[in-house]
Amino acid sequence: MAGMELVSDQGYRIDGRKPSELRRIRCNMGVFTQADGSAYIEQGNTKVLAAIYGPHEASNNMRNRVCLDRGFVNCEFSQATFSSAERKKRSRGDRKGRDISAHIKQTFEAAIRTSLYPRSQIDIYLQVLHSDGSLYCACVNAATLALIDAGIAMKDYVCACSASLTKGSSLIDINHVEELAGCAEFSASILPKLDQIIYSELNGRIHQDELGLLVDAVSTGCRDIFAVIDQFVRSRLAETASYFTHS
Amino acid sequence: MSDLTKHIQPVEYYKSFLKEQVRPDTRTLQQIRQTTLNVGPITSADGSALVKIGETMVVCGVKAELTQPTVEEPTKGMIVPNLDLPPLCSSKYRTGPPSEQAQIGTQFLDNLIKISKLVNSEDLCVVPDQLVWVLYCDVICLNNDGGVMDAAVIAMVAALQSVKLPSVTMNEETETPVTNFDEMTPLKINCLPVATSFTFFERLDNEEITSGHMTIVTDADDNLFLLDRPGGSSITDGQLDQCLQRSFERTKEVVKLYNAVHSS
Repeated sequence: MAGMELVSDQGYRIDGRKPSELRRIRCNMGVFTQADGSAYIEQGNTKVLAAIYGPHEASNNMRNRVCLDRGFVNCEFSQATFSSAERKKRSRGDRKGRDISAHIKQTFEAAIRTSLYPRSQIDIYLQVLHSDGSLYCACVNAATLALIDAGIAMKDYVCACSASLTKGSSLIDINHVEELAGCAEFSASILPKLDQIIYSELNGRIHQDELGLLVDAVSTGCRDIFAVIDQFVRSRLAETASYFTHS
Repeated sequence: MSDLTKHIQPVEYYKSFLKEQVRPDTRTLQQIRQTTLNVGPITSADGSALVKIGETMVVCGVKAELTQPTVEEPTKGMIVPNLDLPPLCSSKYRTGPPSEQAQIGTQFLDNLIKISKLVNSEDLCVVPDQLVWVLYCDVICLNNDGGVMDAAVIAMVAALQSVKLPSVTMNEETETPVTNFDEMTPLKINCLPVATSFTFFERLDNEEITSGHMTIVTDADDNLFLLDRPGGSSITDGQLDQCLQRSFERTKEVVKLYNAVHSS
């Protein structure tokens, strides 16, 4: 894909977005009845479902991870075999899936107030139905909504966004085609209100001076995502609260 | 009746409802939950369907791939179903290799495809002895609130119904297949099977809430494909007749749904 223009001369990307424009986000909370908390998020064509079980007593195979003073997070990422252009052989347990699960587990162990749930386990299950880039970010955003739905105490929302660099300018919320172009890819999770970065990952080579540019682009993206998610949560809360008040 | 009784004395809880010929979710005994079918929600798949029966939600995606046929059957393509019950859908399931229930479900779908001759396997042949289509039908349960197999069958049939395959020609010189995505032919489906599950409340005196379940697969032309009754208490002829009759009625309703979605 070398030499492909990610940004046209007119300043638009392949899918018609501006460099600092997010894809459309659609979300929903409480989509399942079996799970303690659940959420669905669509970022462009990337569609992810998240389900939370817990906090509950640690299951048998997790006994060795029990902490006496705090809860622990168990995360499983699974990608539907039909979610990408080429059929995936395994939906769970491949290297990429394990990588994303581990990163999400670390992200949320930093964001959940685990000391409130001693000796407990919190399960985060993620199912990708359609993948079109920025999978980690969509998973984090979905898991945040599902954790809010489950009523699990967190320090703040966790919002994640990715960015890439082409010809010295940044592109945020990159899709699959832009991922394939082979430019450096930076993704980060932030706590928008506390203004903390709790996870960041850079794949690819960039110049030291360009890192600041990427961090700025990603944190702006995260804040935009936060605005969308927060507005959705508040409107859902207002709707739910209206059932409890007498008119 | 309080929610507490449901957990402490589940048998008593159900009995008190059954005495009045209703179920805890206000349905009558023969009433089936509302069924919704959405075809083509996933554009990365060659055919897909999302089915909801009450709160049970199942998604099926079909991926078509070209492969070499087997030596025994050089003109037959393959359909490979798979049912996934991830821990996401219920707290009953654990992480790891497919559970027993998932394997039984996969086998059930496979039997159904073979017995009902859902698709002519010769239709999936591109070049005899060289190239055939293999259709992977991956069914994922997203929320398990009972009746997963009923939903899985509807999802799989509807997803296969929406499959369109590109025309393929062999390049004689390089012997590589060339796909033409401008010429798409819809997959021909021979019948529209529907599964209906029943459960029996009989010997409620022992600790079990139900005494086994039964799944019947039929189509609108009054064909009976599968009757699955894995153990449980014995059932009378009258009960079997009643179940068969109910499943034929149910099939007619669902076939209307298939046709309505397919023609839209």
